[in-house]
Amino acid sequence: MSETKNPLTDEVKALIGVSAEKVEASPPWGIEREGLRIFTNAIMDPDPRYWDDEFAKTTKFGGIVTPPIYCSYIGRKTLAGTPDPITRAFAENPNSDGIGGVREGRDDLKGQLPSLPTPLKRILNAGNEIEVYAYPSLGDRIFSQAKYHDIKGRVTKDGTPMLIVTTQTTFTNQDGQVLCILRQSGIRR
Amino acid sequence: MVTADELRTKPQTWFDDIEVGQEMPSLVIGPMTPTHLFRWSAAIENWHRIHYDQSFAVYHDGLPNILAQGSWKQSILPRYLKDLCLPDGWPWKVQFQHRAMIVPGDTLTVWATVTAKRVADGLGLIDMDIGMKTQADIETCPGTATIVLPIKGGRAVPYPFVAPNEA
Repeated sequence: MSETKNPLTDEVKALIGVSAEKVEASPPWGIEREGLRIFTNAIMDPDPRYWDDEFAKTTKFGGIVTPPIYCSYIGRKTLAGTPDPITRAFAENPNSDGIGGVREGRDDLKGQLPSLPTPLKRILNAGNEIEVYAYPSLGDRIFSQAKYHDIKGRVTKDGTPMLIVTTQTTFTNQDGQVLCILRQSGIRR
Repeated sequence: MVTADELRTKPQTWFDDIEVGQEMPSLVIGPMTPTHLFRWSAAIENWHRIHYDQSFAVYHDGLPNILAQGSWKQSILPRYLKDLCLPDGWPWKVQFQHRAMIVPGDTLTVWATVTAKRVADGLGLIDMDIGMKTQADIETCPGTATIVLPIKGGRAVPYPFVAPNEA
């Protein structure tokens, strides 16, 4: 019986530390009030630092700011004028799960990491790590850059090969100030 | 849930007044409803049907119900840490795992317990275990966090935050 090989091949290992292109995550108009209102309602955070100009001026931030990792969500939105990814995805597959085809077909998603050269396709979320350094202000433009932070290979006792892949995305503003760093670890098996 | 006025007038929690083993004020959210979940999906344009289409979630994916989004939990934890630090501390870092599903009907308690306190570069660091439990005491995302609280008579917590040298 052949022994299962560790899936951390030289080709996979070579991707550790590889970065994607740094891209603008925010829309051309930057951080704006309406997006902030919708987001803060969805996390049920009534903090006046997000909407009350007069109060926000008196805080250490000197004005309206966003929640800690708000900037990590704004790059996921479909810009006006983009061919509707939902209509296309369901036209191609009436049983679309609403995420795979919708996201894969979008041509406005830039800054993606190169695919891992591995036959292991199933992905389980193994954990998240967040570091926060500053909050964006209204009008700020947000940039993001992803990289393969670490990749480990394992073979479980029952012979199942797996990769533990940690990606890191750093969000900065127009001045290069780091706003937050998000790391996500996924198990590929 | 906290109110806008409570956050506007929240008195500072000082590093000096925290003890190891102390339970920090919790944040109760819910009961969660399909409408809460749908609002989050729409807010961030996450159209994965397991979060708002019950037939799809149950009959296609074999789930017990539609599920709260991992991205929502990921936003709630920093929001909770932010509240603990207001007005002049800093919610520096948090790590956690997704361990259990959250479904409509769940009432969630976001919690933190202090495990250590230390001073680095003149900043007061508080290490904590954190999580988000359901009404059935099921821990959905256990983790750890480090927040920075001002020290009485000490230097101000910098903004933008600069990580202390802990060597």
